[in-house]
Amino acid sequence: MSSVKLGLAVAWPAFWTAVPAKIVFALLLLAAGLHPWEEAGLVLLLLLSIPVDIWALSVSARTVFLERLRLQPPDQLGLTLWWQGALLNLVYLPLGYVIESSTKAGAKAVVEKILEIELLKGLPVAERISVELVLWSVPSAVMLLLLVLGWLFLFGWIVRRQTAAARASDESYQALVKQWDLMRVPADQPLLLAVFAASGVGLVLLFWAFMPVTTPHPHELYQKEAVKVVPPVKPAEVLQKTEKLIAQAEVAVQALEEKAQEEAKAQAKGKGKGQGQAKDKGTGKEAASPKAQPAGSDAKAVKAEKAPAATGQTK
Amino acid sequence: MNGQPNVLEKIIAFVDERVGLKTLQAKMLNEPVPGGSRWAYVFGSVLLFIFIMQAVTGILLMFYYVPSADHAYASTQYIIHEVDYGWFLLSYHFWGSSAMVVMVFAHMSQVFLWGAYKKPREMIWLVGLALFGLVMAFGFTGYLLPWDQRAYWATTVGVEIMDKTPIVGDFIARFLKGGPTPGQMTLSRFFVIHVMILPAALMGLAGLHLFFFRKAGPAGPFRGSSEELKAKTDYFFPRQVWKDMVAMAAVFLTICSLAFIEPVVLLEEATPDPGDYHPEPEWYFLFLFQMLRLKIFAGEFGQFLAGVAIPNAFLLLLAALPFIDRNPERNIFKRPIALVGWLIVMIGILVFTMSAIINREFLD
Repeated sequence: MSSVKLGLAVAWPAFWTAVPAKIVFALLLLAAGLHPWEEAGLVLLLLLSIPVDIWALSVSARTVFLERLRLQPPDQLGLTLWWQGALLNLVYLPLGYVIESSTKAGAKAVVEKILEIELLKGLPVAERISVELVLWSVPSAVMLLLLVLGWLFLFGWIVRRQTAAARASDESYQALVKQWDLMRVPADQPLLLAVFAASGVGLVLLFWAFMPVTTPHPHELYQKEAVKVVPPVKPAEVLQKTEKLIAQAEVAVQALEEKAQEEAKAQAKGKGKGQGQAKDKGTGKEAASPKAQPAGSDAKAVKAEKAPAATGQTK
Repeated sequence: MNGQPNVLEKIIAFVDERVGLKTLQAKMLNEPVPGGSRWAYVFGSVLLFIFIMQAVTGILLMFYYVPSADHAYASTQYIIHEVDYGWFLLSYHFWGSSAMVVMVFAHMSQVFLWGAYKKPREMIWLVGLALFGLVMAFGFTGYLLPWDQRAYWATTVGVEIMDKTPIVGDFIARFLKGGPTPGQMTLSRFFVIHVMILPAALMGLAGLHLFFFRKAGPAGPFRGSSEELKAKTDYFFPRQVWKDMVAMAAVFLTICSLAFIEPVVLLEEATPDPGDYHPEPEWYFLFLFQMLRLKIFAGEFGQFLAGVAIPNAFLLLLAALPFIDRNPERNIFKRPIALVGWLIVMIGILVFTMSAIINREFLD
């Protein structure tokens, strides 16, 4: 088995075996009011994860040793793989982070330059977004894949070193499976289910014991809006106010109409005088001018324009 | 101690005599798994678990929810603000629906990549596809129930897309809306479909799916000779049960964490005026929504093509897959068309979903 395959065979199930226990811790931290991705919460979660990771690595590595390699797993296999893997991560993960982020930044810069080409400037927004995303994410994804393969190769190499210390097993496959089962699952079926159920009940009790004390109810995101007190509607007052407004509006409209009529008269006089001088020029302009329209229609237009706005305001 | 059965044992023996409890237990737990247990086989069990949890949380929410246009929003607010940990139940139900969609995609991908849809498992695949449709319908109908702007406009957009289907589109749209614009009739119909029709259909089809699965038996891994598979064959209990339990616990705890970190926040109450809100569907329909924004799909015909024709043609292709692909080879690395096709579909969905999220920033 290649180092990459060996690394994957141990790391992948170990990761998934550890995840539920880590989520339990994260959830308990959340219920206790500590954010597991910030300061004390994060430190606590990382510390709690150490024994979980050792256990998960032990379970998955023993399975691989027994089932796939037909080897008797050496003592302290999980612990050895954990500390050697931790050393690898200490060097590899920051390095990988720097390489990946610089690849992403470089790819984004190149893509931005490409999209500045005159030919591509006219791309519609939706198309532009997808093209840009594909162009920078492909090199970033390839680099990430290479980094993952590199990590698996190195971790597989660590696992391979442990196989040297293991002795070959000449037992049948079924016997190995039974040995593996007995290592972690009790032979008694109801006992396993009872233990699992009891652990669940215990965790639920712990969860609810934490939560009402530390978690605000309702959730902190649900802030109630301040209740606005609406003054009671008095129909008589509203009617009086509206009548006043209508009377004022009528006066204003009348004034506008009178003004428009006077202006129209004055214009008609001026037009009579200058008719001989500008026979052809004047007519078109006058027809287009709102002042030249009949006074009544002008006022109606003002009313019609104002009506929806006014209703909108009242709403 | 004295060899006499205790009360519990007597009760179990009583029930067993009449129901055949021990036979049932043996049938359920001692199912042979060719090639042994795998993490890749957990998705089906996890889906069943999520559905049960959705049913439980859904029933609890129904104790307080009022399915009327006048009270839906207020009752959802009541659940969030007044009911003890109602916000947690509602948020669990919300994130549970997303988890179900993710698991359906994972399950279908696993079956496709493992070639487990091939003879003699065609019926399992077809019923599975119908279940996929039901899960999407659950998400779509449930989205309207809180009756906020997001719910109202996502439904409006969804129904408009359905309306573009030839012949039946108009009928479906009118039936779902129950009027010219979404209102009380729409809410009533979506509620009934969400809490009565879909759960009943899902339970029936899930039972059928399991029956066909037990009848045909698990497909097992796509690599290895029949002798190797026989040697590695294991029973469902304890190894696969253990893996299923671990996966269920992981999913349950993830949904709980999401409910804590990102609880459901309602927008303004639904109105026929979108205001500043840019209507968009739930995240699992975003890729389709983004496709509709592309210029090549502009116009009435283009919208029909992207919104109705392409997705339905794709579903039809999936349904016909076991009958088109008759090659017994199951190893995905020896089925290049299937592998490349799956990669294109997955990357396409991912790219368009991400693009829709980036596009949101442009609109805001």
